[in-house]
Amino acid sequence: MSTLLQQLANGVVQGALIALIALGYTMVYGIIQLINFAHGEVFMVGAYGGLATYTWIVPESVKDVWYVSLPIVLVGGVAVSVAIALLMERFAYRPLRNAPRLAPLITALGVSVFLQEFVRNFYPNATAALPFPGVFVQGQLVIGPIRVGWSGILLIGVSVLLSIALQTYINRSRMGRAMRATAQDPDTAKLMGVNPDRVIVLTFVLGAALAGVAGVLFGTYLNNINTDMGFQTGIFAFTAAVLGGVGSIRGAVVGAFIIGLVKTLAGQYMPGGTQYDYVWIFVVLILVLVFRPQGLFGEPERVRA
Amino acid sequence: MSKLANTIKPFARPLAILGGVLLIVAALLPWVTFALNSGKYPDLATLQFFDAPFAVTGFRWHILLLGVLVLIAVFAPIPSKGRVVRSLGWGGLAVALINSIFITTEGGGLGAITAADGNAAFGGIVGIVAGIAVILGGTGIGIELPAKWKVKLSTPLAYLVLVVTFAAVLFAVAQTLTAGGQGGPANPYAGGLFLSFLGFAAGLLTALNGIGLIGWISELSEKHRVFSVVVLLACALLLPFTNAGSEYWMTVAANIGIYAATAIGLNIVVGLAGLLDLGYVAFMGIGAVVAANLSGAAASKVGIDLPFPIAAVIAAIIAGIFGAIVGSPTLRVRGDYLAIVTLAFGEIFTRSAQNNIGGLTNGANAIPGVPPLDLFGKEFNEPLNIGSVELPSGVLYYVLIVLLVAAVMAIFANLKFSRIGRAWIAIREDEDAARAMGIKTGKAKILAFLVGATLAGLAGAVFAHKNGTVSYESFKFLESVTLLAAVILGGMGSIPGAVLGASLLFVLPEKLREFSDYRLMIFGLALVLIMRFRPQGLVPDRHRRAELAGEDVGGVPVDEVHEHDTKGATA
Amino acid sequence: MSALLEVRDLSVAYGAIEAVRDISFTVEAGHIVSLIGSNGAGKTTTLRTISGLLRPTGGEIVFDGKPIHDQPAHTILGSGLAHCPEGRRLFPRMTVEENLQLGAYVRKDDGVEADMQNVYELFPVLGERRHNKAGLFSGGEQQMLAIGRAMMSKPKLLMLDEPSMGLSPIMTQLIFDTIKELQKQGTTILLVEQNALAALALSDHGYVIDLGQTTLDGPGHELLADERVRAAYLGED
Repeated sequence: MSTLLQQLANGVVQGALIALIALGYTMVYGIIQLINFAHGEVFMVGAYGGLATYTWIVPESVKDVWYVSLPIVLVGGVAVSVAIALLMERFAYRPLRNAPRLAPLITALGVSVFLQEFVRNFYPNATAALPFPGVFVQGQLVIGPIRVGWSGILLIGVSVLLSIALQTYINRSRMGRAMRATAQDPDTAKLMGVNPDRVIVLTFVLGAALAGVAGVLFGTYLNNINTDMGFQTGIFAFTAAVLGGVGSIRGAVVGAFIIGLVKTLAGQYMPGGTQYDYVWIFVVLILVLVFRPQGLFGEPERVRA
Repeated sequence: MSKLANTIKPFARPLAILGGVLLIVAALLPWVTFALNSGKYPDLATLQFFDAPFAVTGFRWHILLLGVLVLIAVFAPIPSKGRVVRSLGWGGLAVALINSIFITTEGGGLGAITAADGNAAFGGIVGIVAGIAVILGGTGIGIELPAKWKVKLSTPLAYLVLVVTFAAVLFAVAQTLTAGGQGGPANPYAGGLFLSFLGFAAGLLTALNGIGLIGWISELSEKHRVFSVVVLLACALLLPFTNAGSEYWMTVAANIGIYAATAIGLNIVVGLAGLLDLGYVAFMGIGAVVAANLSGAAASKVGIDLPFPIAAVIAAIIAGIFGAIVGSPTLRVRGDYLAIVTLAFGEIFTRSAQNNIGGLTNGANAIPGVPPLDLFGKEFNEPLNIGSVELPSGVLYYVLIVLLVAAVMAIFANLKFSRIGRAWIAIREDEDAARAMGIKTGKAKILAFLVGATLAGLAGAVFAHKNGTVSYESFKFLESVTLLAAVILGGMGSIPGAVLGASLLFVLPEKLREFSDYRLMIFGLALVLIMRFRPQGLVPDRHRRAELAGEDVGGVPVDEVHEHDTKGATA
Repeated sequence: MSALLEVRDLSVAYGAIEAVRDISFTVEAGHIVSLIGSNGAGKTTTLRTISGLLRPTGGEIVFDGKPIHDQPAHTILGSGLAHCPEGRRLFPRMTVEENLQLGAYVRKDDGVEADMQNVYELFPVLGERRHNKAGLFSGGEQQMLAIGRAMMSKPKLLMLDEPSMGLSPIMTQLIFDTIKELQKQGTTILLVEQNALAALALSDHGYVIDLGQTTLDGPGHELLADERVRAAYLGED
C-alpha cells in the first residue's frame, strides 16, 4: 500500500513536469497543425540554459540562497528556451508554412536532432550527464508513508499555477482570443485584423517559456540533466497532448497527469519494470489513437476549408 | 537574383572568360606554402609551375579541366550556355573552397594558402575568386532551362550510347568511391580530397545536365528500358574489376548496398505514400534478429539452422507483420500522428533488444558468430578466383547485395506504376480527396507499411550474415534518421535518388572520420536546409517535381511562395 | 460624390487558371453596389482579393484614396474595409460576445461596449444568447452575427458575400432590410449575390460579372429592367 501511495505521488510529480511541456505541443498543433518534434529539445536547452546561468551568471555569494538564485536561473532557462524557439519558428518553420504537410514535420525532426547534437558537442562536458544544482529548499515533505522532495512539490505547484494562468490568458485576453480565432479559422481571423505571424510567434514563445521553466525545475528535482532528456520527455508530453486532445489546454494537463501515473505505476507493477515503462505509455498512445483519435477533450478533427 | 543578373549582364562574357582563365592559373599556382602538421598535402600542392610545368594531378587537374571547359563553353555555340557556365563555376568554387579550408584547418592557418617562409601560394584564393567570377558570369549570360535534344537514334546506335554511358558511370563510381583513399589516421586528407572530388563531379554533372546530355540519355534509357537495366546490372557486377576491387572497398560498397536497399524500402513509405516512418530501421533490426536466430549462431536461442533463403523469407515476413501492426493505427488517424507511433515502435524495439527480450537478442552482448553465407561450399567471405583473376574477399557479398538492390528496385518500380502505387500517391497528395475517390486509404497505408517493413526485414537478414554480429546498436533511432535523410536528400519517391542519398550518407562518414562527432548534427541541419531550399532532393522524382517545386529539372532554389497565393488557391 | 473603392483592371489567378480577368468597378461612398453573376463567375475571388486574402496578378485596388492591393489581409480592416465572408465563417467554438469582440479586434477606443449593445438592439436574438457558442445558431442567426461582427470594426465599406445563401425567404428579407438600414446609418456596402433580383432592387448601382469579366453595369433598377439580365439571372425568357 505504501509503495502504491509513494508511486502515485511520484506519478503526480512526473505528470506536473509533462504537463508543462505538453502545453507547448498542444498550442502549436492547435494553431499551425504541426507536431513540433523539436519542442522536447526546447525543454532540454532550457535546462542547460538554467545550468549555464547558475554556473556563470549567478554570483558565488548567493548561489546557496535559493530564493535569489532560483528566480535568476529560471529567467536564464526561459530566456534560452524562448530564444531557440523564436529562431526555429522564424528560420525553419515560417518559410514552410504553405509547404506540403510532410515538409515541416521533417524539418521539425531535423531541428530536434540538430539541437540535441549541438548541445552535446558544444556545451562543456555535455557528452555525459551533468549535475544540476538543487536551487530550492532541500529535504522532503513526509506525509505518512509518502515522501516527496520539496522541489517536487514546487514542480507540482508551478505547473498547476502556470496551466491555470495560461488557460485564463487564452480565454480572457485579447491576444488569447486572437489565438483561438486563428486556430479555428486562420483566414477569417485575418479578416478580423489578426496578424497570423504575431499569433504564431506568441504561441511559440508561450510554449517555450513553459518548457524552459520545466527544464530548470526538472534539473532542480533530479539534480541531473542530459541531452537525451528532451527527446524522451518530449515523446511523453506529446502522448499526453494526444491523449487529452490536441489543441486543448485542459486536455494536455489532464493527459499529462495520466501519463505520469501510467509511467510510474507501470514501472512498479508491470513485468519488466522501469525498463519497459516506455512501452506502456505507447500502448496508451496507440489505444487512444485507435479508439478515440480526438482525445479526451478534443474536438473531432477540423476539416480544412 | 534577376536584379543581380541584370546588373552584371553587360560584363557577363568577359567575367566568365576571366574566371575561366583564372581557374587555369589557379591550377598552376602553388596551393600550400609548407608541409602541414599531418604531412604533405597531396597532389603536388606545393608545386611551382616553373619547377614542373603541367605536372598537375588530383584536384589541380580537376580545376584545370573546369577552367578549360568554362572557356570552351563560353566560346562554343552550345545551348543553355549560362546554366552550363554557372554549373562549372560552382564546381570550381567547391573544389577551391574545400581544399583551401582543409589546408587552413589542418594546421596550416591562413599562412599556408597565402605566403609564409618566403613562399607564396595563392592557388586557393585565385581559385575561389575564379569560381565566383564564373558563377556571376554564367548568371549574367542568363539561366535558361536545360536544353532538350531531339536527336533520334537507331536501336544499335542507342545501345552503343547506353553501353558507353554506363561504362562511364561505372568508371565514375569507382573513381568516386576510391577518391581520397581510405579514411582514417593514416590518410588525414581523405575527407577533403573526397569532398573536393564530389564538388568537381557535381559541377561536371550539372553542366552535362544543363547542356541536355543527361536528359537525352535518360530518355534514351527510358525507351530501351530492359536493355538499360541489364547493362546497368552488368556494370554494377563489374565494379570488383576496377580500382575499387579491394576488400575494403568491396565491404564499403556492400554496406552501401544494404542501406540503399533499405532506403528504397523506406522510400515506398515516405516517398510514395507520404507517411513519415521514424522507426523504420527497427524492421531491419527485426529481420536481422530473426535471421541470426535461425542461422545456427552460437548465441541463438532457437538453435536451428535453416538455409539462408528460407531464413531470409521468414525474417522478411515477420518484419512485414510488425509493419502492418505498427501501421494499423492509421486506420483512424492522419499521417502525422503515425510518425509518433513509428518513433515509439522504434524505441520499443531498441529497449526490448537491449534488455534481451525473450532471450532472442542477447541484449548488450549482441548475437555474435552468425555464420557467413555459402554457396556450393564456397563461403561468401573468402576471396574468389575467376580464371586467373583473384577477386578480394567480400566480392560474393557484394554480388548478392547488388542483386538484392536490383530486386528491391524492381519491386519499387512495379509498385509505383501499379494501381496501389497510384493510390499511395493520391493519399500523399490529399488524403481526404483520395478517400472521396473511393480509395480505401487505411488499407493502402497499412500495405505501404507492410511492404516497406518486409523489404527492410530482408535487408536485415542479409546484414546479419554479412556482418556476422547482430547488435541493437545498429538499429537505433539515429539510424532511422540517417536513412530518412538519405531518402530526402536523394529525392522522395525517386529510386536513383534513394541510392545516391544512401551512398552519400554512408560513404561520407567513412571518409570523414575526424568529423564523426558532428555527423548527426550535420544530418539534422541538412534535413532543415533541404526542406527549405530543395525539398525535391538531388534527383527529383519526375512526378514529384511539379508538386513540390513548380519548377523544372534545373537547380535554382524554389522561390518562396507567398502566403496568400497558395492559401487562397486551396480554399 | 467620390469613389470610396475603385477597382481597376483587376486580374487574379489560381496557378495557371485565371479566375478574374481585368475587372473594373467603382463603389461610391454611401451607395449600395452589387456584383451579380452566376456560380464561378469570380465574385468571391474578387472580394477575397480586395480584402487581401488573395494577391492580384494585375491591376489596382484603391480604397479611400490609397492603393491597398499589396497590403497583407490583416491590415486592411484597419483602414475601414470590412469583409463578411461567404458561408458566414464565424468562430464556431466561441460565444456570440467573443465573436463580436473579435470583430472589434483592431479598435483601440472605448466605444466597443456601446457598439456591441447596438448590435444586440439590431438583432435582439443575439443579445439574448450572447453567451452561447456561435456554432449552435441557425443559418439566419449566424448571418446576423456575421454582419454584426463585421460592423463591430465600424467600417466605411462593408463587403457582404452571399448574405442570403441558404436562408429562408423571410430571413432573406430581414437581412436585406438590415442592409438597407446599415446604408441609412452611413455605411457603404458592396454586395455579392446570386439572388440578383433582391440585390438589384436594393442597389444604387450593379455590375454583372461573367467568366471573370464585367459584362454590364448600370443603376440597379435599370439592370433589373434589362432584358439580358432578366434572361440570364432572373430565369425569364
